Amino acid sequence: MSSIKEHFNQISPSEFFYSNRDLAGFSNPTRSLYTAVREFVENALDACDQKGILPDVHLTIKAVDPDKPDPKPYILTVKDNGPGIDAEHIPLAFGTVLYGSKFGLKQARGMFGLGATMAILYGQITTNKPVIVKSSVDGTTQDLFELLLDIQKNKPVIVKHTTKEVSKKGLSVSICLEGDYSKAGTKIRDYVYETSLITPYASITFDDPKGQKFSHPRFVTEIPPPPTIIRPHPHGIDVERIRRMIVESQFEIPTIDDVMIEKVRKDLGLSVKNLSFTAIMDKAKKKWKTLSRQVRVVIALMSFLKMNFEKLNKIRIEDIDMPNKKLFYWDFGDSQSKSIDMDPENQYYKQLTNTVQGEPLTTFLTKRFQRIGPTTAVKFAEFAGFKPEKRMGTLSNQELVNLSDALQKFEDFMAPDSSCLAPLGEAPLEKGIKKFFNPDFTAVIQRSASAYSGFPFIIEMGIAYGGDIKSGGPHVYRYANRIPLLYDEGSDVVLKVVNDTDWGRYKVKGDPPFIIVSHICSTRIPYKTAGKENVADRPEIERELRLGLQLLSRKLAAYMSKRGQADMAKKRANLYAKYLPQIAEFCTELAGKKKEPNYKKLLEENAVEFKQSIEEKNKIGDK
Amino acid sequence: MAISKKEQTKIKERSKKADEKQKNILEMLKSHGAKIYDDLDNGQFPKFSIPSRSVGNIVYDKKLRQYILGTNAAVRSSRNSAQLRSFTQLMWLAFFANRLTHEKKSSTLRDVYYSSQAFAIEFEDQSESDNIIVDLESVTSKPREDFHIFPEERSSIFGDLTIEYTIPGYEGKTMNLSNHPDGYSIGPSLTTAELVDTSAEIVIAIEKGGLFTRFVEEQVDKKFKSIIINTGGQAPRSTRTLLKRLHEEMKLPVIVLTDGDVYGEHIAMVIKSGSANAAHLRELTVPDAKWVGVWATDIEKYKLPTIPMTESDIKRCYDLQKDPRYQDGIWKKELDVFLKLKRKAELEAFSKYGLTNITDKYLPQKLELAKSL
Repeated sequence: MSSIKEHFNQISPSEFFYSNRDLAGFSNPTRSLYTAVREFVENALDACDQKGILPDVHLTIKAVDPDKPDPKPYILTVKDNGPGIDAEHIPLAFGTVLYGSKFGLKQARGMFGLGATMAILYGQITTNKPVIVKSSVDGTTQDLFELLLDIQKNKPVIVKHTTKEVSKKGLSVSICLEGDYSKAGTKIRDYVYETSLITPYASITFDDPKGQKFSHPRFVTEIPPPPTIIRPHPHGIDVERIRRMIVESQFEIPTIDDVMIEKVRKDLGLSVKNLSFTAIMDKAKKKWKTLSRQVRVVIALMSFLKMNFEKLNKIRIEDIDMPNKKLFYWDFGDSQSKSIDMDPENQYYKQLTNTVQGEPLTTFLTKRFQRIGPTTAVKFAEFAGFKPEKRMGTLSNQELVNLSDALQKFEDFMAPDSSCLAPLGEAPLEKGIKKFFNPDFTAVIQRSASAYSGFPFIIEMGIAYGGDIKSGGPHVYRYANRIPLLYDEGSDVVLKVVNDTDWGRYKVKGDPPFIIVSHICSTRIPYKTAGKENVADRPEIERELRLGLQLLSRKLAAYMSKRGQADMAKKRANLYAKYLPQIAEFCTELAGKKKEPNYKKLLEENAVEFKQSIEEKNKIGDK
Repeated sequence: MAISKKEQTKIKERSKKADEKQKNILEMLKSHGAKIYDDLDNGQFPKFSIPSRSVGNIVYDKKLRQYILGTNAAVRSSRNSAQLRSFTQLMWLAFFANRLTHEKKSSTLRDVYYSSQAFAIEFEDQSESDNIIVDLESVTSKPREDFHIFPEERSSIFGDLTIEYTIPGYEGKTMNLSNHPDGYSIGPSLTTAELVDTSAEIVIAIEKGGLFTRFVEEQVDKKFKSIIINTGGQAPRSTRTLLKRLHEEMKLPVIVLTDGDVYGEHIAMVIKSGSANAAHLRELTVPDAKWVGVWATDIEKYKLPTIPMTESDIKRCYDLQKDPRYQDGIWKKELDVFLKLKRKAELEAFSKYGLTNITDKYLPQKLELAKSL
């Protein structure tokens, strides 16, 4: 028998991502370069958005050795005019995995700043070069860090740290990584281009390795209102989340040690005096209102133990068994465990219960969730089969599951608060579409907020026809939380909705030049994969997309029928211009005349008619 | 050869008649052209009315004893963009026909199709241009031959008939149609020629070239004082025009000899009373023409070798039973017998009794019979 011994090692997050980098979009040099660009640009935009700064983002990709064939090392630099990062946070923010500032519940492009660290990690393992971070938070001094990641320890290694004077705030991150620009170039250029459509208030420039410069200046100077951080909606919750919230809500029984006793004495104004148990209780009663929760709990325990400070010092609380109303403690003097019965009539009993068993259900719900007031909380308790005053700390595992299920099922909660969302808005979206495609017709819509599984979302859509748009449409531009989605479009819910549409019904035929822009804003986009490229078909989202698209399509149909008439008129005018001269020629000889008849009047009349219908068409397009 | 004064006057009269006809055609085209010219000049979209040739508008006229178009007509307007193309095509055709008539030049249907390209007029294919030709016939109620447009030739004529050409280069030239034993093909020059003189007393139209040759060899023209015409299957319009003229101008009776099947019967019927296809034209019929054989009843009577009818033969019988012209007389009777026999016999079947049996025995009997028909 062989003696293979299995080793169970805990691995660090860095190690985990190192071995699973495919998950985060770093599967090959092409995809990795594209993903790295995305992560840094999105971080830059997020940083500016959060502080209400009009973003200026500069993206540069340079080959380390331009003559080498792809794939080869590139230096990727993204510079912004955002708030920067305090020097003390920089090593942790860029040198560890799972360190970030984006943990609240609100809409942002990225979740935890994870992707950027992944890019740094990928750069490090492919080129063994440090990441260079330059940051200025005050606009006068700039900290420069060169950092490496200690993958096994998930810790930053500071290679270099210098400071210098500057005149601008902002952050610049530069990494060296193995990439394939010849293959990734199109996607990256598309990404930058499409990002500037959905971020019209940002100026984005891109200097590519071939020396080309792509510049997308801002054409809107107002930033959409920033989202606010809010409490979770009951529909978007699971058992684990509730468990964590309960832990947060509970006060632990304070450890009664010297420090604690000293604190209680001080708060009661008894730092030096040694009073009897009864006297202490009297004092506490008087000062009750001013006491902190911890102190109150200690007083409550003392009231059952009937001990003064001296005695209290010689015991350790072992357990508080509320159901059996027993208090267990270890007596150091006697070196044995003792128990006393607790009298429920004791005025401090409730205090202790609160502490040990947590908040009542209704309080828990109203305090920790959005959209639940006292009335709803009571109604919900009845629906879920719990007593409203049921203590959260006393819920069994099964009850927790029941509660979680009931929270999902209860339908009388108001829809999630959408103030945590930051849609672009109809006007900037329309402006963007018009600027990018110079179309003959544009229509946009922002649907009112809706929710799936407790996560609020808003759908914004635009449709445009003609102008500079290539034929072969619909061309679909998908966005989620202001990120363009470029890969894996086949399985996306937006594509599904678009493909399900019978465009013939909307008078769109043949090889039409038209585009559809869709923007899904949510606190949580239901991506199908970790690579953030395609959105899963949640029925609620699909429905909103469908309704939005239907409304836009109807507007398009109205335009198309006008356009059709104008096209007809044009076609007719062309036919007249072609055939009438021939008819004139033939009838002149037939009639035995020398001069051709004056048929030009007819042509002119038709030209007028044609002009009129063109004007009408333009009127519709402007609407 | 000296021509008598009387003859000379006759020639003059004849050429005057041809000129007259040409003049009429040209006048008519001119008036159509002038109307369109005026419309255009007045800033109006020109249009004209075309009798509808749809099945619903083809009716049988008992008095005329032929199919004619009813009163339904469609307006073809140059304002309508869907009709503009065909309007222009028709205008061009009128213009082209005008030139043909003026210059006394003839053109085949295929020529018309190709000629259009010189004027940047587009026809998808010849059937489109053929259709426009029928449009012109409908509007003017004149056959295309009047505009010097002819189909490819396949029918021929033989017998003692003197004609005088009217086509350019041959004006006044005469010709006797018994000079060449292969017969003369019935083309533009023959159709437009004046019929001067004949010793014949009857016209025998025969369906097949083989039998035509046999008839010439056996001198049917002399033996029975006849003009023999090979219709080459369904008689072309020029042949029908010629038959009509022989009947009307030379006062000759016309008999038709066809295969003993339903198609043969109908070939005779078309000569007699026209086809639905040409319901828009009225000068192509010989209402007094007689079908003398081969009848269905002849098959039994002469014990002719037969072949079975095909399904399409039978279907054709049923179709014709609905035709108003097949409701009585010999037409109905023979059709019914064909249907009963479900067999058919060709003219060549008489060869069973020897090659000359048809001319020696059958034809005389039928000629005799025709007198009483």
